[in-house]
Amino acid sequence: MRGESPADLLDGSFLEVARAVAAGRTTARALAELALSRVAKAQSAFGAFISTDPAATLREADAVDRRARAGEPLPLAGVPLAVKDNINVAGRPSTAGSAILAGFVSPDNATCVARLVAAGAVVVGKTNCDAFGMGSSNENSAFGPVKNPWNPGRVPGGSSGGSAAAVAARAVPLSIGTDTGGSVRQPAAFCGLVGWKPTYGRVSRYGLIAFASSFDQAGALTRSVDEAARAFSVMAGVDPKDATSLSTPVPEVESDPPPDLRGRKVGLLAEAESPAGAEGGGLHPDVKASFEEAGETLRSAGAVVTAVSVPRVRFAVPVYYLTATAEASSNLARFDGVRYGARKGDSSLAALYRETRSAGFGPEVKRRILLGTFALSAGYHDAYYGRAQRVRALLARDFAEAFREVDVILCPTSPEPAFALGAKTDDPLAMYLADVFTVPASLAGLPAVSVPSGFSRDGLPIGMQFIGPGDTEPLLFAFARVLEGASGALARRAPGAVS
Amino acid sequence: MTLSSDGTGASFGRQADRYTFSVKIDPALVSKVSALASLDLTDTERRAMAEQLSRVVEFFEALKDIPEELLEDSESSRVLSLRTDEAGGCLDPAVVESNAPEFAHGHFVVPRVVTRDGPS
Repeated sequence: MRGESPADLLDGSFLEVARAVAAGRTTARALAELALSRVAKAQSAFGAFISTDPAATLREADAVDRRARAGEPLPLAGVPLAVKDNINVAGRPSTAGSAILAGFVSPDNATCVARLVAAGAVVVGKTNCDAFGMGSSNENSAFGPVKNPWNPGRVPGGSSGGSAAAVAARAVPLSIGTDTGGSVRQPAAFCGLVGWKPTYGRVSRYGLIAFASSFDQAGALTRSVDEAARAFSVMAGVDPKDATSLSTPVPEVESDPPPDLRGRKVGLLAEAESPAGAEGGGLHPDVKASFEEAGETLRSAGAVVTAVSVPRVRFAVPVYYLTATAEASSNLARFDGVRYGARKGDSSLAALYRETRSAGFGPEVKRRILLGTFALSAGYHDAYYGRAQRVRALLARDFAEAFREVDVILCPTSPEPAFALGAKTDDPLAMYLADVFTVPASLAGLPAVSVPSGFSRDGLPIGMQFIGPGDTEPLLFAFARVLEGASGALARRAPGAVS
Repeated sequence: MTLSSDGTGASFGRQADRYTFSVKIDPALVSKVSALASLDLTDTERRAMAEQLSRVVEFFEALKDIPEELLEDSESSRVLSLRTDEAGGCLDPAVVESNAPEFAHGHFVVPRVVTRDGPS
């Protein structure tokens, strides 16, 4: 039987951590002290973190212990939490992985952070990420790349690479990230974790540093589906501070018993066999094998498994990179050296803007701003941005059609397992195509869950993604539990895990 | 191979081989766009961006193969629904000041923009 030392608890499910703290069998402070020690090791080994504030963490842990002793129900009592550095935590720096936000200290908590803290979670650090969430490998951070705890020569995925590495390295059992086009799901797949994005609007965007507002969503990374569901329960809910927040009831994802999956229809995405732009014309063979095996596993569990087509998913990458970069070019106009962050140049106001932005933004952020500005500029708007918006709507209709045939769609989260550091940094198009399976759900505002489905022949995690109609998170988590159970992923530990 | 009439043909993955540029992303166009975006680029950056963005935009040309009749107008294809836009609370001025690069007398300080002769 697993013990109840802080080390044992941090290596297990955080649901047990919360129970132990609530029952007084351990303390949030003891867990926070150990987590801080592991965070330092994960930072040293993998570059997973950008900042910590140990004194604040211990203060907040003590406050949780007081609340627990007073009998307050805390579904995340004492759970150490890592927060992607483009999500605001009151009184702590938020850099979004970019030099242009040097010196910025968040005035308040993002709503999703406030909800997690209210539930008893303790923030132990801010995690490294691609600048402004722009990247699929966590190689676009002003604070250096993040390495994958399963193999330090591989990327952890992006843009929430630090959040993924932090959980895979067992520094923390729970991290949160932002998912604009797959930035939670793809790192989860690369690092052997569960990662979800909600139905658009289900989790507040307030306090997220905006990249592309019609896509940006907060999600969580955990080792198990049950923990993922708990994080969803806590983070989801209406927020008047977010103009796009959903006011409808939050779906119940922790119901006991969970939804009966017998007879439910799973559609294997037909277009997954030949992803757009894939070199060699198809999936990595180990991912393909895992995809087929996942179909068999679901069939064995009583689901009706069939093929389903979402025809315009083939156009998802161009549509995403035209619309998201257009939104980014507008959102990032606010970084001008006047109100916060770094400042450079004082010969004129225009020079201040130019010099601040030119020195503060990294190459990928500049590339996306230029692409988005181009797509929106006179003479090109209708052909690029306008057309992409209309194809986006067509893709959403394709999904609606597909969901008349099946309850959920299954496809790989990524066409390949974690690739080598540096493998795609000189080829932006190749990097963008790494998102081919994650951007479709983002474009249509649909919920999606990535869950470990197995391992490649060289020991790298592989993830599968369930996509459903809006508000079907309970079904997605239930299906994810089936693959989780069959994959054996929960029993495996990343070779780089710290202790 | 050609794309099918509804733009779903299996040759999509090879489209980069099939399409010619309808827009030439050259260093001059990159200069124009970077000025709109308030970004200064070195000559080396400008050439690299032109080369990389050309490849990316060429790939995006595939969207033109989707027949017009399948596409709704952009007004009716709006994805998001928004709540009423109402003014909310403001940040404490002291908090705003604490993050400002330069702040004086309740205002952000910027280089002079108006001179005796007009805008600088």
